[in-house]
Amino acid sequence: MGKFPKRAAMTLGTVAIASLLLAGCATSGTSAGGTTSAVSKADITKAMNTPATITFWTWVPKIQSEVNLFEKKYPKIKVNVVNLGQGATYYTKLESAISAGSGAPDVAQVEYTHLPSFELSKNLKDLAPYGAADVKSQFSASAWNLVASGNAIYGIPQDSGPLGLLYRTDILKADGVAAPQTWAEFATAADKVHAADPSQYLTDIPSSNGSAFLGLFQQAGANPFSYTGGKTVNINLNSATGKKVVDYWSTLIQKGDISTDPDFTDSWYQGLASGKYASWVAAAWGPVFLQGTAAKTSGNWRAAELPQWTAGDHASGIVGGSADSVLSSTKHPIASAVFTQFLNSDKQATLDFATQQFLFPTTAATLSNSEFSDQKSPFYGGQQVNKVFAGISSKITGQFGSLPFMDQVYDSFNTTLGKAMANGGTGMDAGLADWQAAVVKYAKAQGFTVTTN
Amino acid sequence: MTTTSALRRTPRSAKKYARPSTFFTIVGIVALVYFLAPLLWLVLASTKTNSGLFDSFGFALGGKFNLFQNLADVFTRQDGIFGRWLINTVVYAGISGIGACLLATAAGYAFAKYRFPGGRGLFSVVLGAIMIPTTALAIPTFLLFTQAGLTNTPLAVILPSMVNPFGVYLMKVYAEGAVDDSLMEAARIDGASEFRVFWQVSMRLLTPGMITVLLFSLVATWNNYFLPLIMLNNPDLFPLTVGLSQWQSAASAGGGGAQADFTPIITGALVSVIPLIVVFLFLQRYWQSGLATGGVKG
Repeated sequence: MGKFPKRAAMTLGTVAIASLLLAGCATSGTSAGGTTSAVSKADITKAMNTPATITFWTWVPKIQSEVNLFEKKYPKIKVNVVNLGQGATYYTKLESAISAGSGAPDVAQVEYTHLPSFELSKNLKDLAPYGAADVKSQFSASAWNLVASGNAIYGIPQDSGPLGLLYRTDILKADGVAAPQTWAEFATAADKVHAADPSQYLTDIPSSNGSAFLGLFQQAGANPFSYTGGKTVNINLNSATGKKVVDYWSTLIQKGDISTDPDFTDSWYQGLASGKYASWVAAAWGPVFLQGTAAKTSGNWRAAELPQWTAGDHASGIVGGSADSVLSSTKHPIASAVFTQFLNSDKQATLDFATQQFLFPTTAATLSNSEFSDQKSPFYGGQQVNKVFAGISSKITGQFGSLPFMDQVYDSFNTTLGKAMANGGTGMDAGLADWQAAVVKYAKAQGFTVTTN
Repeated sequence: MTTTSALRRTPRSAKKYARPSTFFTIVGIVALVYFLAPLLWLVLASTKTNSGLFDSFGFALGGKFNLFQNLADVFTRQDGIFGRWLINTVVYAGISGIGACLLATAAGYAFAKYRFPGGRGLFSVVLGAIMIPTTALAIPTFLLFTQAGLTNTPLAVILPSMVNPFGVYLMKVYAEGAVDDSLMEAARIDGASEFRVFWQVSMRLLTPGMITVLLFSLVATWNNYFLPLIMLNNPDLFPLTVGLSQWQSAASAGGGGAQADFTPIITGALVSVIPLIVVFLFLQRYWQSGLATGGVKG
């Protein structure tokens, strides 16, 4: 106890110094944000040979092995990996560390959907001057679109979540149903599966997951949100395409052919394991996720493209996935920027991400690497599941924007459209209109100018 | 022994037992099931494999008996960070418990045995503070600690947990009954300083009450989630509550690289409650006497 005052005084001292340094950084940071002049090669070489330690917040398990590859190539730079979990508490921590002015990392993993909120608060460094544009060509276009905002680049894509369909081939066979290629076939199949066994549903469209539902919007060609910096947002949930998607599911839910149970709950996991749901509209991280909870159904699952609105199309959406971003407050912008680029474009690091941590790749080289794409999974009857999703990923053409307040968007989904889904599917049209109205109202209350194109 | 005299004060044997009421027996059984069922589920779930959790009935053993593998997973995951969290929790709860106990004893004793200006007013403030949940104070405390540069240190969790207004109240009530004024007088006449009267005479008599406060604070800090959640940014400093919830968020959020790996979380939760159950079983008589003191004298 006697030591306490000394220690407190020391900590106080360090914080005082740190805040002085941060204040200095903030001023230079804002001026650098305006200029787009590139950092010279010589500056980068110099920075990468100057000893520095950068802190990296991420929730990827065992990421140290990929980080080691970076430290081997740049021995002067040490990376301090901190795993603080993910989800809402992670962002709360990140935001409070940023606003406290100390304790924020240099590099942070941020989901694509949350990039705009940090972009809005000017807490992300534009990586374009640090050579990010040079690595652009190595990434799949659909992933790069998620980190680029105008000419600015607010992160390097780490993993992506193109949507596909995981289905129980044994259940479909028993019910005499072929794997549906179009949504029209899907509707017929849903009817048959439910008629054959009233306790079974062809799929579950969760009434609690706005993010997943937006994926279906994207696949239909709707891009309801856009934000390109500043104080203007575009919100158009209630478009003709959006209505088409909602009407389709409304009909199926009202017939009782589709379930609307909330996902990632105990009963949902049980539903997947017991065959209550014969398919799951899953992002590319879904196949491995499913294996861990439904081991008894191993061998009965298959992966495929999502059913299409027009036969012969190859449209899909993206749900989930994240980038590594550099925070404006960093004292080592060059080392941090080079780190994010190396980690997510180095051949070995990205391949390890794909095969060890099951992150769905964002670089063309890894997507086509046979070590990744030719993997056969016994859970999927020996199918090359990665190849299916790599194919889906390469054909995504749509651009999917996010708003700087996606948590709010998902929350209001639950009280509007999601509520109508949970109540048997009636009034989903009105629910969609309510969702649009709720998001617009929130945006206006936050001082945004709202367009609805 | 002071302990037994404190216990004997409860009028257990004085009254004849009334005829057992069927209604309250049923209510008692329902309450028992309500509180024990989750624990039973926890024990059973800890023995299952991950997919066994979802394809077997919750209150039955299912599939392979996997408890030992699960325990190994808990203690080896992320380079064995769970052991670190366990030690952190023991340290935070232990130091906070002892600190809260000493502070509350000193304060409660002073309120009970000394008349000083503003004493009644201050005690009312302490009583009022009991009504404020510590969670509500977490954010203001965080801002204060940020100013002092103490966030992200063990002190950020320990210092706020040392303040226990309910403990002060309990110790005041206890000191009023347990420490006789004439005994203090005698000590003073023998030439003892006020501090010596407190430390060497009164504290002996206050021990049962002190242990009660120690237990209350220990359990409160052990279970505290929100304060360490906002104070700490370093996983090596996390207590079990925050660490387990971090694992839980990783398992149920979905997203890139996510794996629905629930067994380490469930088994970890089981491991984290065992020390408290042991402490409780050994020291439960102090709980009872402490609760009774508050009830009868309040």
